Amino acid sequence: MPDAENFEPKIVAFLCNWCSYAGADLAGISRLHYPPSIRVIRVPCSGRVDPFFILQALQQGADGVLVSGCHPGDCHYLTGNFVARRRFAVLNDLLQFCGIEPGRVTFAWVSASEGERFAKLVTEVTEKVKKLGPNRKLKKELP
Amino acid sequence: MDRSEKLRQRARELLEKKEVVMVIGFGPPSDSGISPVLFATTPEEAENLTASTSCAQNLANYLLKVRDRGRVAVVARGCDARSITVLLQENQLKRENLHILGIGCEGVIENGRKSTACAVCRHPNPTIYDELIGEPVPAPEPDPEILKADQEFEQLSPDERWERLSAELDRCIRCYACRQVCPNCYCPVCFVDASMPQLLGRTHNLSDNMVYHIIRALHMAGRCVECGACHRACPVGIDLMRFNRRVAKTVRERFGCDAGTDLNQAPALTGFKPDDPQEFIQ
Repeated sequence: MPDAENFEPKIVAFLCNWCSYAGADLAGISRLHYPPSIRVIRVPCSGRVDPFFILQALQQGADGVLVSGCHPGDCHYLTGNFVARRRFAVLNDLLQFCGIEPGRVTFAWVSASEGERFAKLVTEVTEKVKKLGPNRKLKKELP
Repeated sequence: MDRSEKLRQRARELLEKKEVVMVIGFGPPSDSGISPVLFATTPEEAENLTASTSCAQNLANYLLKVRDRGRVAVVARGCDARSITVLLQENQLKRENLHILGIGCEGVIENGRKSTACAVCRHPNPTIYDELIGEPVPAPEPDPEILKADQEFEQLSPDERWERLSAELDRCIRCYACRQVCPNCYCPVCFVDASMPQLLGRTHNLSDNMVYHIIRALHMAGRCVECGACHRACPVGIDLMRFNRRVAKTVRERFGCDAGTDLNQAPALTGFKPDDPQEFIQ
């Protein structure tokens, strides 16, 4: 078992192509530092993120999940993030109801110009997941 | 004339005048105390129609199976009617092919007591119908025991809640009876059956069981009419309504939608409001 001090969480980040992915890119070209904990999956829109993706990431051993898209009103497809927001609201409530620790799954809006915010967000999420410790609840263990 | 007699008379008339090809309702209860579903295609068969507390299934499920037969009459209580409304909203049924015989419902009695779903029923009367058989019935007082149990569960710590649900869902044998009886679960290929790619493990596994039940509840968000069919069908007696009640409550409180009560209101998760609450998003 990895001790709490040296625990390096693995975080799967679903980033929307038009805002958050570009925001992460900006953080990169601005040479901003943030923990190397995230594995980015680029999606066309936050509306593309099926709640099943999030659960499957946790099943396959991710310690945390970050879902990020354009700010409301800025969606490239106009309404993708509005529809996603309702879906995430229900998912978030249900995960808490089931006893998944708050903070395991994080939702955030990050625009293409918010490179600094992105770096800060990843730092915060990593700290939060570090505190929670490794994901043991939904992780699929082989019998 | 009691409701059953009135129902039989109307069903006979509809079939004699050839207004419908079939009347879907319930027959007299069998020895187990449960009424089988009755598909009456002749006036004589309609003689067996019954309306009582032994009628358990959600009849909207069967409408999907006979939707290409022509105009069909269906006996609809609160939950049947709400399911039909959801199916109409999702273009699974044609309104002109339906003749809805609305009927007030006093709840399903199972093993001598009111079924869990019926004990907290909010809509005993049909929300959509062509004609109402008998009088509307008053909504029952929700069972305080169930409400209290829900409240107590939500006050537990996340770890305790996880433990409780794990113990419950570890018993799930993934027979998918809950999916089969649900009138609003009609995808030709369910995500649990998909094999290219295979989305969910096939074997008994707590993680897969949990994900199945979480996703099922999410798929029912804003669509579940809380008829309790899944709970009744479960062979190992998992309290599935706990998930459904929670999701329905979230949708009601956050978006002000109640599944299947208003034909003209879009299902909760297909629409949005620009100012939906988003306190959980950073």
